[in-house]
This record gives sequence, structure tokens and C-alpha cells, in this order.
Amino acid sequence: MRFPLWSFLSFAVALGAVQAQDDYKPGPDAERKEGVPQGTVTQSKWTSKIFDGTERDLWVYVPAQYDGSKPACVMVFFDGGGFVAEKGAFRVPIVFDNLIHAGEMPVTIGIFVNPGVVPPAKEGQEGRKNRSFEYDTLSDQNARFLLEEILPEVGKNHKLTENPDGRAVCGNSSGGIAAFTVAWERPDAFRKVVSHIGSFTNIRGGHVYPALIRKTDPKPLRVFLQDGENDLDNLHGNWPLANRQMDAALTFAKYDHKLVVGTGGHSGRHGGAIFPDTLRWLWRDWKTITP
Amino acid sequence: MKSFALVPILSAVLFAPLAEGQDMPLSQVLIEGEDWRVVSEGHGFTDGLCADAEGNVYFSDVKSGTAIYKVDAAGQVGEFVKDAAGISGLKWGPDGRIYACVARGRIVVAFDKDGKMTELAKEVQPNDLVVTHDGNLYFTMTGAKEIRRIDPEGKMTVVNAGTVTKPNGITLSPDQGTLAVSDHGGKHVWAFRIEADGTLAHPEGYMTMRTPVADPEIAKGDGMTTDAYGRWYVTTAMGLQMFDPTGRMGGVIAKPQDANLVSCCFGGPNLEYLYAACGDKVYRRKTKSHGILSFQPPRKAEAMPK
Repeated sequence: MRFPLWSFLSFAVALGAVQAQDDYKPGPDAERKEGVPQGTVTQSKWTSKIFDGTERDLWVYVPAQYDGSKPACVMVFFDGGGFVAEKGAFRVPIVFDNLIHAGEMPVTIGIFVNPGVVPPAKEGQEGRKNRSFEYDTLSDQNARFLLEEILPEVGKNHKLTENPDGRAVCGNSSGGIAAFTVAWERPDAFRKVVSHIGSFTNIRGGHVYPALIRKTDPKPLRVFLQDGENDLDNLHGNWPLANRQMDAALTFAKYDHKLVVGTGGHSGRHGGAIFPDTLRWLWRDWKTITP
Repeated sequence: MKSFALVPILSAVLFAPLAEGQDMPLSQVLIEGEDWRVVSEGHGFTDGLCADAEGNVYFSDVKSGTAIYKVDAAGQVGEFVKDAAGISGLKWGPDGRIYACVARGRIVVAFDKDGKMTELAKEVQPNDLVVTHDGNLYFTMTGAKEIRRIDPEGKMTVVNAGTVTKPNGITLSPDQGTLAVSDHGGKHVWAFRIEADGTLAHPEGYMTMRTPVADPEIAKGDGMTTDAYGRWYVTTAMGLQMFDPTGRMGGVIAKPQDANLVSCCFGGPNLEYLYAACGDKVYRRKTKSHGILSFQPPRKAEAMPK
């Protein structure tokens, strides 16, 4: 009897400890403030040709300060539905409103893209989930999807900057490596990356990035990485080690980058809690960017 | 206790996309201490594995076989249909007939329960096939880079040409909405949507197979099967590769012996055994998973047990 009781107790203690370590919450920058003008969020659907046959939800945030007189900066979010939610861990529209109003980031149009699904042809079927294919694959397909489909669509009604230093990509988990892949493949188009709990692991070969970074002529990217000490260790790899490998490789190759390691697990809570500061770091010299 | 209950609920709501990607390692399928065991030996080149609703397993011997062979519940191997040589693919249909790609005879045929053969297509180069619950038969023509369909009325059409370098193995998702085809001359397993009219649409190199170091672009994807959880299995030069329902590699199961591993299926009691055709032998091993049969009604993929 002694052994089962002991192991149960230690399991309970360990579980409580892990949850306490992940007790991150959105801060005051993620709350509505009086006198701060609110941007608008518009939802639509997109059917892709580059990810042939996929359908997905798309949200566009336009800050109140955007008047169309000059191009706005751009920030794309993968798994966009989670980022655009005002009750989520990130609450991006609120944070953008506050930081743009305070002059801590440029007038930026937020594009929130969900992963695609090839919808079922018949009732009762489940469809083909395309998230892993789109996010975990090391290729330029997702970058082309943004550059040839999404940005031109959003650009029909909004002026978007062509300056790659004014264009950022952000995501969590597989969306994190996807954000890096977009900028890695197309530094001419995107140069700012934010990855939370990024899957730089072998889901579809993404574990090779640290090696590639070290032996590739450095690209002009600014990369923010966040991870948690208690992030995943599974068949694809070890997330904390993988993010430290990314950090070490980016240091070796002299990239403008930053790694923040918290105590959380595979969740967006920590990344969300620090997100306003992440944006301040990412856009710290935004006034020097030609729109 | 409150935080214990609240946190999982909140994370399920806020991080649904993260929760979607459940990990499916080999340890969810393989049983420690269970290895491949020989089911049948002394053949030339075993192939064409498939199962019936009772878990009986059928296979062919493309090189030197003269019959369709049957492995019953007790493990006894016998001839099921005599005078059936040169078969490379077998599947049961919803009409109680067993369908076959006769590679050597360049025909697709069906055998009824008395062994009477009906020719469905001739002057074709069939390799492997699958039959849906609604009676559509899809087969691969590896050399011609084609996937063909024979509809329930018997009409044959080319439903894809040129997408897959060497289309070979072929299987269905549990809901029968997605057709997967392995490439013997590349490194992807391709996914297609089966349209309401039975044609194929939206091909994508959904799964990337592991390849030999000496031949990094060619996995030699061959026979395929699907389990009840929607995992995909494909025989390759490197072994039996398993992918989760969203196309992420779960692992590579070692070949039973150093020979051509070209066909696999779930069979045996409760369809819990994974069968493999490898060279001169057929093997099986017990798993924690179980298979599905495409001639039965489509179903949703089962949720993974906790």
C-alpha cells in the first residue's frame, strides 16, 4: 500500500506545481482603457488555390489611426482565431489599440489567418485538416500563400507597406515555426518573427533549422522566441531544448533576436502575458521604418 | 480544486488548435515484447494483404503463387481461390466479392464466394486497389502514373493522371472522404478528396515518408492501410511507416526481415493484428490498435483512449 499512496501523492504535488508555474495572465496592456480609440475587426472566409481546396477563417484588424493616407505596417498571425479573441491569452486587438495609441508600435494592420481545412464533400465526413501540412512543412508554400493570396486580398481595401522591415509574422507552436519559415523563405517580404512555444522539432523536419542557420549567410531577420521549461518532450522532440538550440544558432550567426524562457508548458499563457513587451521589443525602432 | 478543473477547460477553449495535435507515437500501437511472427512462409513474393469482417486474412504471391491464400482465425493457411496467379492487390467489396488486381494478366477482376471470376477491366496495368462502401473501386496504375476508378455500374475512368510519380498503395480515411495514395517513385503519400460523384480533387503531398540515406528522394511507398483512429500505415524501403490522421510521422516499424515489404493490413481477432507481406513470408504482430474495413459503412475516426 505504501508505494501506490506515495506515487499518487507525488503525482498530485507535481501536477499542482506545474499548474502554478503556468499561472501567467494578461496584463494591463491587454485591457480596454478609456480614451484609447478602438480599431475594427472584420471576419471573412478564404478559399485557397495554393493550398488547393482549403477553406479558412480570416480576420482583419484595422487600427483607428489608419486613415489610408500612407501604407500601414503588417502583422500576420497563424491560428489567427486564438489571437484575435478579446478574451484569449493574447487579445491582440486590445494590445494593438493600446500600443499604437501610446506610440510604442506603428500603425499596423493585423491579419489573423486560421489553418485550412479541405471541407468534406459529403455530409457526415470530417474533411482534411491541413494545419500540420501548412505550418510544419519547411517550404515556401505558406509564404506564397500569404504573398500571392492573403496580402493582395487585404490590400484591395487597405494600403499595406511593401517594406519587409514593416512586416511581421507571429504564431504559437506549429504556428511559431511557420512564422519563422515564412521569413526564412522570404526575407524580402517579411523580416520580423514572433514564435511562442515554437515547434522547432521533427514534426516535419523543422529540427534542422539551428543547423541551417549556422551554415547560411545570415538573413536580415529580427526573431523573438518564447518557450517554457515545462514545454513538450515527445516523439517529435524536446521543445525547450529546440528553442535553446534556435537561440544558440541565432546568436552564433549574429541575428537580432531574443529568447525568453518561462516556467510554463505547451500553452500560450506566458507568451500572451509578455506579448505587449514582445511587441515593444519587435517594433522598438519602428519610427525609422519607411512605410 | 477549482483551478484544477478550470485550467483544462480554459486551455481547451483558448488553445483548441494546440489540443488538436495529439501526439501519436509508436508506443500507442506497438506492444512491448510483441514482435513479428511468421504466419506463412515458402512463397516467392507475398503481397495483396486484406481482411474480411471475421478477421480472416487473404494474400497473394505475385511471383510464384497460383491462388489467393487465406489465413483463418486459428492461423491455418489454405488456398481460398485456386487458379489465381500474378495478383498484386486484393480487397473485399460491399457485395461480398473479393476484388483483385491481376498484374500479370493486366486485368481487374472480382471473385464471388464460389470462386467464379468476373473481369471488370482489361488491358490495364493494375497494382493495388481499394473498394468503398458505396461500391467504387479505385486502383493504381504505377507505371502509367494513373489512378483509375471503376464505378458501381462497371464504367472505368481515369480519376487522376500525373500527380503521383509512381502511384502504388491506396487506402481510405475512416469516413471514406479522403483517398490516400503512396508514391513508389517519390517520398510523399498523397491525399485526395473523393467528390460526391466519385472523382478525385485537391491532391496534396500530405505525408512525407522517411527515405534511405542513399536515396533521399525515393521512399518506395507501397501497400497501405488505415486504423480505426485514422492513422495511416505505408510500407516503404525503410519499414512500415505510421502517420497520424493529420499527416504527421508517428514512427517507423522495423521490417520483419531484410526483404521487400510491400503490403500491410489489420486482421485477426478484432482486427487487432498488423499483418505484413515481406519477401517470401507473411508476418503478423499484435497491436494496441485495430483496423477498419472499407467495404463496411464509413465512420468517424475513433478518439484515442486516455
